[in-house]
Amino acid sequence: MALKALDIYKLLPKKNCKECGFPTCLTFAMKLASGKADAETCPYLDEATKQLLKGATRPPILRVKIGVGERSFAVGEEIVLFRHDKSFVHPPGILFLVSDRQTTDEIRRVATRVKDEVFPRVGELLRVNGIAIRNDSGSPEAFGKAVRVVEETAEFPEMLIAGSPASMEAALAECGNYRPLIHAATAENHGAMCSLAKRYGAPLAVRARGADALRNLAGTCAAAGVQDLVLDPFPETLGEFLITSTLIRRLALARSAPELGYPVYLDATAPGLEEAALSLGILKYAAVMVTTPRNPASLLPSLTLRQNIYTDPQKPIQMTPGIYRVGNPTRGDPLLLTVNFSLTYFTLLGYLESSRISCFLLLVDTEGFSVLTAVASGKLNENMIRDSLQRFGVEAETGHRTLVLPGYAAPLSGRVEEATGWKVLVGPRDAAEVPEFLEQSWKKAPGG
Amino acid sequence: MAEQEEWTGTIGRVLLGATRGDGGTRSVQYCIGGSRDLPFLPGEAPCGKRPLIALEICDDPVLWPPVVREQVGDLAGDTAAWAREAEKTYGADLVRLHLTSTHRRQTPDPDGMKKTVESVLAATTLPLIIEGSSDPALDSEVFQRCGEAGAGERLLLGTAEADRYRSIAAAALAYGHAVIAQSPIDINLAKQLNILLREIGVPVDRIVIDPYTGALGYGFEYSYSVMERIRYAALKGDTDLAMPVISAAPDSLTVREVRDAAPADRQERALSWEFHAAFPAAVAGADIVCVRHPLSVKRLRDACSALAARQKGTPAQGGG
Ligand code: SF4
Repeated sequence: MALKALDIYKLLPKKNCKECGFPTCLTFAMKLASGKADAETCPYLDEATKQLLKGATRPPILRVKIGVGERSFAVGEEIVLFRHDKSFVHPPGILFLVSDRQTTDEIRRVATRVKDEVFPRVGELLRVNGIAIRNDSGSPEAFGKAVRVVEETAEFPEMLIAGSPASMEAALAECGNYRPLIHAATAENHGAMCSLAKRYGAPLAVRARGADALRNLAGTCAAAGVQDLVLDPFPETLGEFLITSTLIRRLALARSAPELGYPVYLDATAPGLEEAALSLGILKYAAVMVTTPRNPASLLPSLTLRQNIYTDPQKPIQMTPGIYRVGNPTRGDPLLLTVNFSLTYFTLLGYLESSRISCFLLLVDTEGFSVLTAVASGKLNENMIRDSLQRFGVEAETGHRTLVLPGYAAPLSGRVEEATGWKVLVGPRDAAEVPEFLEQSWKKAPGG
Repeated sequence: MAEQEEWTGTIGRVLLGATRGDGGTRSVQYCIGGSRDLPFLPGEAPCGKRPLIALEICDDPVLWPPVVREQVGDLAGDTAAWAREAEKTYGADLVRLHLTSTHRRQTPDPDGMKKTVESVLAATTLPLIIEGSSDPALDSEVFQRCGEAGAGERLLLGTAEADRYRSIAAAALAYGHAVIAQSPIDINLAKQLNILLREIGVPVDRIVIDPYTGALGYGFEYSYSVMERIRYAALKGDTDLAMPVISAAPDSLTVREVRDAAPADRQERALSWEFHAAFPAAVAGADIVCVRHPLSVKRLRDACSALAARQKGTPAQGGG
């Protein structure tokens, strides 16, 4: 169980000698309790106390880093069961699967995709994290060769899937120094797999069906000295994965089973159910997932879901209605109406800022709904637009009476002109096209 | 936090559709709700139950997603035939009919709407969800007449919102239907609306919560978390939130990522985009998940069945 700062303080030497780098033993205790210090730094602790403190102050789910360099990724360190309780921390790594039975060309093609394919989306680059190579041939030589082909293509995180320690050794000879994820230690082979993981300092996945078996095996591997473990609960169905991964997360967060305090792995290659498996893994606690090299048409939705779910939920969904200034607008600059849904606002803002446009934005109160929904539901209508123009004293700011409506609000344009007496321009539906629209249309407008 | 969370609440049950024995003409009656644990976890009472899948159709396809119109072709012009295919060809559990034509015509046309509902009731044996046009000025009388047309069929009528719920509640009470209570992605507003409905006499076993679902990439995560929070609060004993949930992400098929996809990829992109809001909604606990693309029905059903199956080979039934 987790120790409180005061409990920890009772175990310290109380010399206040500052050798740990903190002014007092009590400060050190507080830092330890919040996981921001290491028991090792106090030279006066005996070994037993050190081990006790380490167990009690480690994060409930350990951090595991896979790969090296720019594309490496860390998983673990999660602290909640529900994202609304705080936030999920490290988005799960998604790896494309290749087999050592595939031809060199085929493997190279997948590796090149992993290297190059990116999807820019609201200010982030979405991409697959690495590649998993599976020893379907059973032959150490073929496995080593397949890994070499990947290695020649680029540097990104790798996962090695083989049941035989001899095959694993052949693959590690090619890439062992780059922290590949070794998959997997099982009840049969864990001794040899643990030695390999330790020799290369590589993270090790342990595979056993269900939480109890995993707990035993992970405990054995940790006792053998492997620090970076990943848990594969080896489920038969999506339902079984959900049940087991939820149990693992709960036990780990409660610190009632430190052997389960590691990131979880999911093989998402279930035929016909791959996008369901990926979705479930993203939503329910997978930290590393393997998938076949999916068509970008259905890969982008998976990556977008991951981006959505790992967004900090404290970010507000509604903006305060009112006038917002983009750049340094002066009287006569364009006035755009939009809704107070934060995603709409931030998307529009992104495009306007990147094209260095100065303008006024009038955010009207649609209770956080998007333009499309607000128009359909009647929340965005001519009367509330008229009232907003008055309430926020818009004309005094802009010095003109021309309003740009979002494209999806086009059906309202006539009624808005009538109700407000302002001239209305209908802009494009997509925020991406707004800068060009302003270039083309605003100068001609009477306000411009 | 313990290994097993202590729950005190149960999600209430709502019956949808009435068979001959219950005074209607549907081939099946669904019982949704009843859960006592987080979605798909072992404590959840009705073992192996998967969410229901509703295919959405409308009586005015002009504003409907182009990818759907491409798929259904001439069906889009024949509401009754579209409903029949939803059952026979696409395998939906429910049909959700949007009576949107009044909006473009700016006339309530209650008689016409009543006829449409009657023709759909005749064309399919599935339980129905009937939606208005989202224009309160047009819908009030439409709800009355449609409620009347489906008297005894235990329809699910939509959509009640905080500023317009009286006429729909009246129609539901008068003719024995259930209502969808929609609030804008906010657990407190969802709760308030349920209280308002209760105060005017709508029994709790006639309310289905719609927390509003944003499309993937367009605020979906907020909806996902509100659904998780509603289930959590209900299990912790908040009876004003202990109703089944319906989720629909109506913009899924018209987002930029679908519109701008290469023609050869557009259908797959559309199906996948819709799937990635619908399936996570089921994971978050939605009892009814709505889709617009007919091919989404099977895709979603297979995924939900695999989720409801604890072991390989155990069949998962729809609600009931
Ligand atoms: S080094 Fe140890 S004894 Fe010295 S102040 Fe830090 S905790 Fe206290």
